Amino acid sequence: MTEAAAPDVKSTRFRMTDYGYIAMMVLPLLACMALKVLFTPETEGVHIAGAMIYLEIPAPVMPLIISESQVNSWAVIISILGLCLYLTHGLTAKAVCKRQLAAEWIVEKCRKLVHDNMGDYFSAWGPFIAAIMGLSAFSSLSCLIGLYAPTGDVNVTAGWAILVFFLIMHYKFRGGLWNYFIGLFKPIPIFGPINLIGEIATPVSMAFRHYGNVLSGAVISALIGPALGGLSKLVLGWLPGVLGDIPFLRIGLPAVLSIYFDVFSGLMQAFIFAMLTMLNVSGAVPWDDWNAKKEKRRQRKMKTEKTAA
Amino acid sequence: MQNLNVISVNIWDILISLVNLLLLTLVVKKFLFKPVTKMLAQRRAAIDADYEQARVAWEEAEESRQNYAAAMAAVKQTTDQMIAEATRTAEHRSSEIVEEAREKATDIRRQAEADALLERKKAEDDMRREIADVSTQLTGVLLKREINEDDHRKLIDSFLQEIGTDDDNDK
Repeated sequence: MTEAAAPDVKSTRFRMTDYGYIAMMVLPLLACMALKVLFTPETEGVHIAGAMIYLEIPAPVMPLIISESQVNSWAVIISILGLCLYLTHGLTAKAVCKRQLAAEWIVEKCRKLVHDNMGDYFSAWGPFIAAIMGLSAFSSLSCLIGLYAPTGDVNVTAGWAILVFFLIMHYKFRGGLWNYFIGLFKPIPIFGPINLIGEIATPVSMAFRHYGNVLSGAVISALIGPALGGLSKLVLGWLPGVLGDIPFLRIGLPAVLSIYFDVFSGLMQAFIFAMLTMLNVSGAVPWDDWNAKKEKRRQRKMKTEKTAA
Repeated sequence: MQNLNVISVNIWDILISLVNLLLLTLVVKKFLFKPVTKMLAQRRAAIDADYEQARVAWEEAEESRQNYAAAMAAVKQTTDQMIAEATRTAEHRSSEIVEEAREKATDIRRQAEADALLERKKAEDDMRREIADVSTQLTGVLLKREINEDDHRKLIDSFLQEIGTDDDNDK
């Protein structure tokens, strides 16, 4: 993209590329739906279970399972890639179109959020936080098109939480391993085990909070339909003929509840996960210890240079 | 096809989702943040360039304005000088003219006086000659005839009359 040559938005090539990107957004999700339809066995009644297993590959320790949640995650990733490409297609410094505004808005908001919550040192964390929010939100929302929400699988959120845990530990060790270890026993030594549990509890709570919210929403959504159907039969069963068989109570109410349990809850959990990541990681840096360590290292370096000279 | 249990921990799945998040981070960084950042930098550069251009243009305008003001001041000074000089010259010239005129007038008067003097002299000469003539005539008359009292009187009267008529003729 050069500054002088603004892309010709009307050209056939530009449009074709656009359509390609839109297909990139939509097709993976459609493929997941098709896959689910092909693999779902014909069952009757309420059926609450985890993700479907598409493939089981033998591996050390335990078999590697390619489940619906993994496949859906990949579909969501490809969709987000398509969305990114679509939004940044034809960016120019001067001409502002709607999609460019959207791209700028997303980037600016993420930057501002990260900067406000994490400070200057972590200002380059925008993409990571944007990725967490995007993946979490779109994964949760994928249940709207009938897919199994990947965030409803504990393995997925646990993976993210463990990544965040590694990052937290990475920054906590900045001040020196020994300082960190002492810090666990800081106020009084009895706090040691409790602090240790607290450290481990962070990723566990993050993973289970997200997973639990999404799964419970999905379970309620799954239960509310049949339940309202049964209620309808009980209350309105006396109507003659076909009218008695139509579950009138199932109209409308499940959709309204779905707005809360699937849409609102999913977006909320995405935001909460991102916020917790930001706060935990930025709060993990022991600035005093780290600065002392840097100062000590600098002095040692100076001393060795002096002796060498 | 089987389903997973609602809670089933599988380390490979955890690893896959961990890698998925890292992958998406890279994707978002490369395909969303990078192009947008680049574009914003370009926009900033373009705006800075515009501002710089505007500043340069303003400076040029200010410079030309100052030049113009200086030129105007110089022109005004020159015109003032010219006017002052012209006034001075005119005054000088006028005094010269007046002086000349006065001189000329004095000359004319002197000339007139001289002329008048000459005329008077001439008139005196004429008169003298006339008197001489009259004397000769008188002498002739006196010599020609005997004079008595009446004649004498008549003679003088006629003489005087002649003079008067002469005077009248002169005038």
